[in-house]
Amino acid sequence: MNESLNLLVALAMGLNLVALGSSRLPSLIRVVALQGMVLGLVPLVMEHEVRGMVVLVAVATVAMKGLVIPGLLRRAMRTANIDRDLFPLVGFLPSLLIGAAGTIGAVVLARWLPLLPEHHETLLVSGALASVFTGLLLLIGRSKAISQVCGYLVLENGIYLFGMLLLGSTPLLVEGGILLDLTVAVFVIGIIVDRIQRAFDTLDTRKLTVLRE
Amino acid sequence: MTLGGWIALALALLLGGGLAGLRLPRVWLGCTLGGTVALLVAAFTTLGVGVDWVWQSPWSLGGERVHLRLDGISAWFLTLVAVVGGTGAVYARGYWPDQAQPESAGRGRAWWSVLVLCMALVLLCSNGLHFLMAWEAFALAGFFLITLDRARRETRAAGWLYLGASHAGTLGLFAFFSMLAARTGSWELGPMRSATELAPLFWVALFGFGVKAGLFPLHIWLPSAHTNAPSHVSAILSGVAIKMGLYGLVRFSGWLPLPKGAGWVVLGLGVASALMGAAFALAQNDLKRLLAYCSVENMGVILIGLGAGLLGLADGGASWGRMAMAAALLHAWNHGLFKSLLFLGAGSVLHATGTREMSRLGGLWRAMPWTAGLFAFGAVAICALPPLNGFVSEWLLYLGLFESAAGHAPVAIVAAIIALGVTGALALAAFVKAGAVVFLGAGRTRATRDAHECGWWMRGSMLALAGLCALIGVMPLAPWFFITRSLASWEPGWSGIESPPPLATLGLLHLAVALAFVLAALALWRRAQAKGIRRELTWDCGYSAPSARMQYTGGSFAAIASGWFRWVLRPERQMRRPRGLFPAQSSRVERVPETVLERVLGPAGGVVMAASAWVRQRQRGHLPDYILYLVAGLVAVGALVLAGSWR
Repeated sequence: MNESLNLLVALAMGLNLVALGSSRLPSLIRVVALQGMVLGLVPLVMEHEVRGMVVLVAVATVAMKGLVIPGLLRRAMRTANIDRDLFPLVGFLPSLLIGAAGTIGAVVLARWLPLLPEHHETLLVSGALASVFTGLLLLIGRSKAISQVCGYLVLENGIYLFGMLLLGSTPLLVEGGILLDLTVAVFVIGIIVDRIQRAFDTLDTRKLTVLRE
Repeated sequence: MTLGGWIALALALLLGGGLAGLRLPRVWLGCTLGGTVALLVAAFTTLGVGVDWVWQSPWSLGGERVHLRLDGISAWFLTLVAVVGGTGAVYARGYWPDQAQPESAGRGRAWWSVLVLCMALVLLCSNGLHFLMAWEAFALAGFFLITLDRARRETRAAGWLYLGASHAGTLGLFAFFSMLAARTGSWELGPMRSATELAPLFWVALFGFGVKAGLFPLHIWLPSAHTNAPSHVSAILSGVAIKMGLYGLVRFSGWLPLPKGAGWVVLGLGVASALMGAAFALAQNDLKRLLAYCSVENMGVILIGLGAGLLGLADGGASWGRMAMAAALLHAWNHGLFKSLLFLGAGSVLHATGTREMSRLGGLWRAMPWTAGLFAFGAVAICALPPLNGFVSEWLLYLGLFESAAGHAPVAIVAAIIALGVTGALALAAFVKAGAVVFLGAGRTRATRDAHECGWWMRGSMLALAGLCALIGVMPLAPWFFITRSLASWEPGWSGIESPPPLATLGLLHLAVALAFVLAALALWRRAQAKGIRRELTWDCGYSAPSARMQYTGGSFAAIASGWFRWVLRPERQMRRPRGLFPAQSSRVERVPETVLERVLGPAGGVVMAASAWVRQRQRGHLPDYILYLVAGLVAVGALVLAGSWR
């Protein structure tokens, strides 16, 4: 069981790096969607016996993260007529290097943290930390509003992985709640993106600085 | 009338003066004089009878009952407030009248009464909360008086500097009183020598009161404030307001337990203030600035006495400690008297010529004999020359120090004695310079041509102060009685000490010297009358056609002695040498900056401002940047927690 879990998490960690390296908006959305689907499968492999509730959550997660949210993003991208190129604040190569270093750091940190013995074997904690780090890096390093939403999604994926640690003890309802929040947030951002585009003719957050204070 | 009645009358009259000041100058003068006289009566009753006056209000203010207390120490300082408050009010009548200052004269009168009232309240309040309120009101009244002439840029700058420094000190006092209240569980003040855990609070008090007292590294506000304020305000600031800081130190060193080494630290601060104050005073070219630095020097002298007193207390109440403490108290009185006299004299010069710059003055004694004589009188007193009061207190201080050197860490005490001696010499040089450059010789510029003697209001107040100086000088035993009362409230174990026997002899000696002076002056006058006076140009020096510009300037007079202190004075020079056979205009300008302010605090403030500007630049409105700061902060906090758990 641990092998398949670790495989999934490692896949997600690899997708983190792909997300950091992708230079175009559609491919970034695709990577994030894929990562969401991969992580949606995690609860299935973690549980010893598959319960109905777990299946429900897995399906909901895959549908939401893999289909609905990316769909919303694509729609926003299309309606707002956004330039497909990402203009990175931190270049692709540097962000890849930093992301790789962060991933290694996350693994080291997870080894070093005082975890429960059953979590020592898995990559869960390192994967969670790496995803959070990558999400923050995307938020810091990409200037477009939609790419920042992708950053938030990756960040949320990391938090979701942390939540998997507590799968046995917390009701999945909590995860469901988070997912719902996120969807609403993406909805709102999609609408705001549209409005910003209409009002300012750009979605580059760099150009919105005149609104400060 | 009872003591409480006198105090209530005084406070009411001063309040009335504050209200009447704006419109009714005569009513104001009457109220202020009446109030100060009532204060004086109350203070001398307490000092004479030796009974404390305590009053507690049935109602509460700010959640605390108002608790007033007049004991030996507060009465001692209250006399000073009353004397300078009264004479300064009379002086202001001639110096800052409605005709000359239509815009600010009324404000000046009102704030003057408020200042005197607030200082009296500071001395009376025996509750930490109300002490702080009175203290803050007193500082604010000082600010409004300093900035009376607010059309001038330097005056406003000096006012802001005063306000900032004053609040830095008040911050220390807030910390002091609130920590005291937190540890004792009450805002009430009183003797608490036995609670040894309170000892470290003395250092906080030393900072808070030290700023107001103008101790050496904390004196930054003092020179510019005293220079730019109207002269009667300079007089009360220098003569009395900085003594409020001293009062705080004396009061709380008497009530609180003292930490180890407190005496040495106070002594060291005193030596530093005395030496540096005298060195800076000598190098000044501005008459009032010179006097202001001289206040730093005299506060240093007083602090040497206080420090030796604390050492004596720690040494089991040795007699030399009492002597030094008595000298400190007496010097506080004396300095209040002669420094006010000198500032009033400087004000008279400023009033007559419109400039404070000594290099533009000269030869004023012909036009202003009263001012010249009274200024010289004050200078003799402040230089601690017999037969005036400055000599009495400094002599007592020397006596105490010499006696302590015999038994108690002789090397350090002897070093302090030597520093005190050097300080005295420098102060003497500074006042020879001031007196000679301003009043002797020939007038240097046009400013001196229209000089005229000041009116009777100003002259009368100066005469009163000079008379008090002379009185203490020839009757040193008279204040001794009050000093013993004051010392007894400072340290109950020190009650009933006898006067040192030489004090009576000193009084006789002073009387003889004074008589000799008067007789010599009379004889000279009669001779001059008989033979007639032939007036010659001073500073002739063998030139065939000397001009007033060939005289020694203040700068050249003080050059050698202030050269020894170049390492701290750091004078700024601009020089254009005369060149060629027919030299064009040449000049030399020298300015002595306020070293602590301009060389230490200024650059430090610049670093803070640069750092703030850098931080402000980071706030560009980029969302990604803000996320980066957030992450950096989070990582830093995480690292802190990890480092904590590591340990």
